[in-house]
Amino acid sequence: MKVTYNWLKDFVDIALSPEALADKLTMAGLEVTSLEEKGGDFVIEIEITSNRPDWLSVIGIAREVAAITGRKLKLPHAGAPVKNARRSPGPGQLSIRIEDKKDCPLYTAKVIEGVNVLPSPAWLQKRLELVGCRSVNAVVDVTNYILFETGHPLHAFDYDKLDGQELFVRRAKNNEKIITLDGVERLLNAGMLVIADRRKAIAIAGVMGGKNTEVTHDTKNVLLEAAVFSPVIVRRMRQALGIQSESSYRFERGVPCASVAEASQKAVLLIQELGKGSYAAAKSSGLFEAGKKPIEAEAAQVNEALGIKIASSTVKRILESLGCNVRIKSKHIFKVTPPLHRQDIVAAVDIIEEIARIIGYERIPTTIPAVTPQIMTAGREDAVSTIKSVLAGLGLNEVITNSLVDSATPAYSRETGANPIEIANPLSQEQAVLRTSLIPGLARCISLNLNQQQEYIAVFEIAKIFSRIQGRAKEELMLGVALSGMKSFWLTKGQVRDKVGFLHLKGVLGVLCERLGIKDWRITSEPDGLLTLLVRKAPVATLAKLETGLLEHAQIKNTDVFVVEIPLEKLLSGGDFTKRFVPLPLYPPIARDISFSIRETTEVDAVLQAIGKNAPLLLKEVRVIDCYAGTQIPSGFKGLTVSCLYRSDERTLTEEEIAPLHTLISETLVKEFDARLR
Amino acid sequence: MDIDAIKTTLDSEIQGVDSFERLEEFRVKYLGRKGIITQLTGSIPGLPKEERGSFGQQVNSLKVKVTSLIEDKKKSLAATEKPSDACRVDIGMPGISQELGHVHPITQVMDEICGIFGHLGFSVVEGPEIETEFNNFTGLNIPLDHPSRDAFDTFYLKEPSDAIRSGEGKQLLRSHTSPVQIRVMKSRKPPLAVVVPGRVYRPDAVDASHSCMFHQIEGFMVDTQIRFSDLKGVLEVFAKRVFGQDIKMRFRPHFFPFTEPSAEVDISCIICKGKGCSVCGRKGWLEILGSGMIHPNVFKHVGYDPKKYSGFAFGMGVERIAMLKFGINDIRLFFENDLRFLKQF
Repeated sequence: MKVTYNWLKDFVDIALSPEALADKLTMAGLEVTSLEEKGGDFVIEIEITSNRPDWLSVIGIAREVAAITGRKLKLPHAGAPVKNARRSPGPGQLSIRIEDKKDCPLYTAKVIEGVNVLPSPAWLQKRLELVGCRSVNAVVDVTNYILFETGHPLHAFDYDKLDGQELFVRRAKNNEKIITLDGVERLLNAGMLVIADRRKAIAIAGVMGGKNTEVTHDTKNVLLEAAVFSPVIVRRMRQALGIQSESSYRFERGVPCASVAEASQKAVLLIQELGKGSYAAAKSSGLFEAGKKPIEAEAAQVNEALGIKIASSTVKRILESLGCNVRIKSKHIFKVTPPLHRQDIVAAVDIIEEIARIIGYERIPTTIPAVTPQIMTAGREDAVSTIKSVLAGLGLNEVITNSLVDSATPAYSRETGANPIEIANPLSQEQAVLRTSLIPGLARCISLNLNQQQEYIAVFEIAKIFSRIQGRAKEELMLGVALSGMKSFWLTKGQVRDKVGFLHLKGVLGVLCERLGIKDWRITSEPDGLLTLLVRKAPVATLAKLETGLLEHAQIKNTDVFVVEIPLEKLLSGGDFTKRFVPLPLYPPIARDISFSIRETTEVDAVLQAIGKNAPLLLKEVRVIDCYAGTQIPSGFKGLTVSCLYRSDERTLTEEEIAPLHTLISETLVKEFDARLR
Repeated sequence: MDIDAIKTTLDSEIQGVDSFERLEEFRVKYLGRKGIITQLTGSIPGLPKEERGSFGQQVNSLKVKVTSLIEDKKKSLAATEKPSDACRVDIGMPGISQELGHVHPITQVMDEICGIFGHLGFSVVEGPEIETEFNNFTGLNIPLDHPSRDAFDTFYLKEPSDAIRSGEGKQLLRSHTSPVQIRVMKSRKPPLAVVVPGRVYRPDAVDASHSCMFHQIEGFMVDTQIRFSDLKGVLEVFAKRVFGQDIKMRFRPHFFPFTEPSAEVDISCIICKGKGCSVCGRKGWLEILGSGMIHPNVFKHVGYDPKKYSGFAFGMGVERIAMLKFGINDIRLFFENDLRFLKQF
């Protein structure tokens, strides 16, 4: 909303520079977004909050300036226009029929005859131009001028273009059409409100007039509308028709019936001043507003809410400067009756805000509250935070991808009976459904980074997925991990490069489980090659290599992507964050290695478990320390070296004690796995 | 073995020692497990009784001498030691380490903010992203068919014929984190101090400063005597911790349906220090959050007595804070996840 410095000065004496005024306004809640010197005046653009329709006018802002600068608002009384004594037969019979007073509580029409429709004088054109309104002709310009000045929208019709002398304020018929002033044909429906004559709609109420009754330079007789329309209907029409006008903007926010008379009288006088004409008739239908009920407030309440001490006299002065009627009921209790244009003041807390706003928020001190709040037990936020730092520690990067995806995204994995949730009002087809998996988003990250020539891409995301199961919308927090490319390690001997695969994924999951206190986890391989992560024996997630469909959708070529997507609740339910100290061993261990080859199809996991069974008390650790292939290994076999760590909790072990155990292990390997010792 | 003969060669021998390796060889030769002195000591029992005493003394004095020669040599070698070419390191080579990953800058900022409020006694609570009209609007005193709804333009869910609703209006993607206020207050009694980080959605066309998905942090405190001055105090602690002690702050009246009085909070521009630049639109101030005293109607909706309780609430866009803090000029960078971007944080 734009006003000019000089226009404001018509209504209040301003001793401040435009810059200082702009600052004052901002600090009173009228945020000045730009201040521009133009044509000897200053254009002040203000962002008006939706609760203050009374600020959508020069007078409304002047009233605020008066309150914050301690000046008086100057409202010269316009006086009523004098009606022409000669009653012409036409306008005299004008009648107004309002179909539903809820749609239009008040409608007034005034007829001015014999108007000479000229271009507007320079001063008027200039003011309108400064606030961003195009000049049309003197009559139309006057309606706009009064709109900007008083905040009350008006409309002028060419009276002679009406069929008959009856005006109807009625709902549009379904599929009724009207060409609006901007030349566009609009298709209406029964949810919309029009002004009509006997035959046709002549305006969309409160939004825009019709071309069929437009005031032009040939117009002689003008019908001036000043009315109030339902904010809800105007808002719906604006949304449905996509027409935003100065008029609809104000009606949507609420225009008081109280301003109708003043605005239309002012307009008639100004039309007569600029284009002669005689004021011939006036008709109105509807009710003018009743007064407001007073609100009770206590000075102590104001001070308690704000944390400040303000005298009762100051409270009274501030409220009066804003146009409120203030009566002192008892010592500290006020009865405040807000003015009709302040539809936003309905309770004591609104009065408190007014006091705070006018004294200035900067005068309210800063304190630290003396509160002992309930400590709510941490949910999974802590675990999520741990997961993020563990994964980052392993070299993975956290990504955040959009929850809204293309409905054509290939399904990655979905519970049976779960359907994607569609958005009723999507911005575009690319963001029309809520995702049912994190994996396609991760695949897109991989794709983008492959295009940036990244060699190794390891990413994860912790976010919700969504689905509708048996009618119920469900959201679930997931951890998605995706690895791809060539991981390189820099060592003393130089760079070692390693192609990413399932074992990298397993490595990540292993560390994660350890850090989350998940002891019972493993990855099993099904005969069909499916790799499943089990936590406490229950399947939790599938480790996968992305299939062609998803790769193509993400535009990934010639690169393998390894992914896993884990429901966090399931993962965390297997964990235990409590930590218990285990005494350090008192006696030294003895390490013995075994080298052997086994069939390629034999799983190392199974071998290690078998080894462990043979010396349950003394064998403390078994781990693979080497894995090799080559000429010494027969084809179809793989070579392994396993290190066994023996230790007793009671004594220092001797070689002699270990030897038979170790032999037993070798025998087991040969017997159970057809191993060949080396 | 002739101890005297050994003694005479000792001096010339030690002179020839020019490295720690040679010194070690020297030590082993004399003091090692099978060294000369050990052998001499070992031969004592085989000597006639009367010789044993004096021989023993001689061996001992030899041992003392060898030991002191070794110590002296150690010192002189250490003094003149120069790294040999073989063991010299080219420290210009890359260090050997492991590459760490990066937590997303949005997470970092959220953690920082939640941490600050955590120190002030706030608990972190999260809520669902699919919300009801009641929690997202009605409970927060945002009436239907009111222009204030425009500011919270919202994605609604398409509801198939079998859709099950909670009886709290249409389902939608929350357009702010404020619905969690309703959830927490409905399930708990004051005193409360809560922060709510999370994703929110609005149908904004995507450009450098808009995204249809972004993050907010909501905070609120409710008790019997919370004042506007408390809101100012808590937010001042927050802003100074995030943006530095030297920033100036201002609270500007504003309108939010769920707070009254409401305030927008600005900090002096961290780029130009308030002089006016392109980042702050020449204003010298940067808006960082919205706040206010919780509206009595919100309390009524959750079953709190507005005469008994008061409270404040605030909400901020995490992307905006991160953009200001890190000097990022395009919100889309957060969701593209280019590693070259992520690795900067």
